Amino acid sequence: MLFNSLTFVVFFAIVLTAYWTLRSWETRKNLLLVASYIFYGAWNPPFALLLFATTALDFWLGARIAAAAAGSRKAWLVASVTANLSMLGFFKYGNFLLENTKWLLAQAGITYVPPHLDLFLPIGISFYTFHSLSYTLDVYRGATQPTRSLRDFLLAVSFFPQLVAGPIVRAADFLPQCDVPPTPLKHRMQWGLFLMSLGMFQKIVLADTLLAPVSDAIFGNPGPVYQLDAWMGVIAFSGQIFFDFSGYSTCAIGAALCLGFHLKDNFLFPFASVGFSDFWKRWHISLSTFLRDYLYIPLGGNRVGAARAAVNLIIVMFLGGLWHGAAWTFVVWGLIHGVMLVIEHFLRTATKGAAWKETLPVQLVLCAVTYVIVCIAWVFFRAADFPSAAMILGAMAGKIPVGEAILSGREILQVSLVIFGLWLVQWRLRHTSLEAAITRLPAWLVGALWTLMLGAIILTQGSGNAFIYFQF
Amino acid sequence: MHSSTSNFDFQRPVPALPWRGLLIATLALTAIGTVAWEIRARALGYAPTLNDTPDLWADRRESVKPDSLVIIGDSRALFDTDLGVLEQGLGRRPVQLALVGSSAYPILQNLADDETFHGTVIASVIPAMWMVPPPAPPYKNSLRALKRYHDRTVAQRAGHHLGMFLEEHIAFLKQDDLTLEQLLKSVEVPSRALYHAPPRLPPYFATMDRERQTRMTDAAARPDPLQERIKDGWIPLFSPPPMAPHTPKFVFESIAAAVEARFGQTAGAVKKIRARGGQVIFVRFPHSGPLKELEDKATPRTAAWTRLMQETGAPNIYYSDHPELIFDCPEWSHLTAADATEFSKRLVPHLKRALAAPASGS
Repeated sequence: MLFNSLTFVVFFAIVLTAYWTLRSWETRKNLLLVASYIFYGAWNPPFALLLFATTALDFWLGARIAAAAAGSRKAWLVASVTANLSMLGFFKYGNFLLENTKWLLAQAGITYVPPHLDLFLPIGISFYTFHSLSYTLDVYRGATQPTRSLRDFLLAVSFFPQLVAGPIVRAADFLPQCDVPPTPLKHRMQWGLFLMSLGMFQKIVLADTLLAPVSDAIFGNPGPVYQLDAWMGVIAFSGQIFFDFSGYSTCAIGAALCLGFHLKDNFLFPFASVGFSDFWKRWHISLSTFLRDYLYIPLGGNRVGAARAAVNLIIVMFLGGLWHGAAWTFVVWGLIHGVMLVIEHFLRTATKGAAWKETLPVQLVLCAVTYVIVCIAWVFFRAADFPSAAMILGAMAGKIPVGEAILSGREILQVSLVIFGLWLVQWRLRHTSLEAAITRLPAWLVGALWTLMLGAIILTQGSGNAFIYFQF
Repeated sequence: MHSSTSNFDFQRPVPALPWRGLLIATLALTAIGTVAWEIRARALGYAPTLNDTPDLWADRRESVKPDSLVIIGDSRALFDTDLGVLEQGLGRRPVQLALVGSSAYPILQNLADDETFHGTVIASVIPAMWMVPPPAPPYKNSLRALKRYHDRTVAQRAGHHLGMFLEEHIAFLKQDDLTLEQLLKSVEVPSRALYHAPPRLPPYFATMDRERQTRMTDAAARPDPLQERIKDGWIPLFSPPPMAPHTPKFVFESIAAAVEARFGQTAGAVKKIRARGGQVIFVRFPHSGPLKELEDKATPRTAAWTRLMQETGAPNIYYSDHPELIFDCPEWSHLTAADATEFSKRLVPHLKRALAAPASGS
């Protein structure tokens, strides 16, 4: 079920009404669990069974890890990691692995024709696998105690606002909220509904209506395009993917808040990033902190010397890229970020203590440089394959002498206004939060903005697309 | 005792604003704005009717039974057929699967590949659309509908039924005309040199019900600025898009090969349906004015229609071969609602003859 659908509006209204009508906390949680499985099963009912099976397995393994003697705890953890990653690998990377095996064998002169696995990718599998895996990892690390309630753990993994496209909510952050009913919080419901409206507006109006047609036209064009068109297509995609994913996260945070649950921010004005380490503190924060805590730090982080830390960063971003999709283009996207993080680390060390770095002009230039490189990396993320990516990059660099003018003057103006507005707002808010910014606005302006957002959503008539991150 | 670690003390702050009043004011203003937009849409001539979505098409495709009478093709088959009249004349109520701006070949292939289907297919053929290669929009339109038919989720079905209820009552719900995206396209901004604007699709000029029975609106049927706008759209829409000057030769060759292959593909699909006891009848529906001149020039009858009929061996009806089937299309491409009913009555005897003599032309 999509957030941007009439079905979800009706579903959420029913769940919300029933939830706050019920008095018993246990019954409310049962309702949420059933609702979450209906939400997920509405795509493909058998996948709800898969979700249940993997969650139940981690629940059991979490208890085994906690109960095991020191010597065997690691074995139980390995079992959990292997089970989760095997499932993810089978569904998401099965064909990718077979195709690459075929290529490798061909390099050795061996002909191998792999079977094509006709697999449906369970929606949101990358997200709920990480939700579930965070539990056994945290139990092993001693960061959380195992829960005795299978129902609570099933709810932690399947909680419908964040189930299919994040944020990646760790069980250790969710399970404590299951222990007691939500504490009263004045105007929580209205603020939650405002966030849901904002998220829908980002997704349906800004991403799908104003930006997606442009990026789709450029990346879907079979031939070369003009330099200006190539740049506008990539810039449009940078905004589209932000509004798409941030919109989903904002909806999720708002929906959870309406139900009394608190989810952390997943985006913090990433267009205002000054450097790549800053970018990853602002972009998909739940993934970057997941990779930091469960991969980068266990690898040694930056405590093992500069060279090893650089290798660790590259490994993390390689896997981060692969997490997004079973294609080498995603790996290249991750590696660009990894390399930039390493370069930035060395530059920061070399210029440590330099006051000029903190001046506004330098910060603006660094922000612009970061954005341009992030956009170049997005080309690999969005392009269907390397030849397509090369064609777009070639056009951006002015290396392709011929091309088509794909975009109208109106589309160019539209993208420019949206992206400039986005950058301006994010730059102004980069040291604050959405809540603080809204507090500073007069009430009438917030009401006017809210009305405009709802009006624009109604005008789109629900013609939006699926969220990009559902595929991951 | 807590069953899990309870060290999570994060709470989202709520901005200090009068939220209850804000919510009420926002809902009230949004409701007023929505009603105002509805009144404006009705004043512009829009009326509540269903949008022709892939979901609506998928509903009809699901209703196809093994022995159904099915109409496939382009918008002419959609506008020019009266399902009630055809039911009276042929004894079976047809299932309307024609799609606006589509090549119906993928639909025919889908029915041919459905091993249970042994019914009758009435297929409208506009050669320039039937023969288009897969990347072209008319082909994609059919694939999009088929994909929905194959992949629909429970949530999408539910959303579709809720959407139909709203569309039957609200005039501004017009996905081809009044969405924010379409409204933005009407904003005049100086265009760029070398930019070729794609042809605009015609504005709203038909109503559709849950059976996909489609009727031209009265405003489009009479001489009216709306009718002129519709006419203005046909010539660019039916003209082949300009190819970029640097388009490699192999692109032209692959298009030509795809068009050439379509004859055999169509014949193969027809053969499969007929092998199971089914039948396919091809129909060329009326069209007139400069659009007819353009179609006759771009796809001469002998080069496309005649060859397709010869290769398939299917019964066929070319409207202009029968004086009683010649009608004037007010906007050059489709019949008015009244003419569609009359045309359907006159088409029935031809369809009966075609069904009685399956291997020959009408």
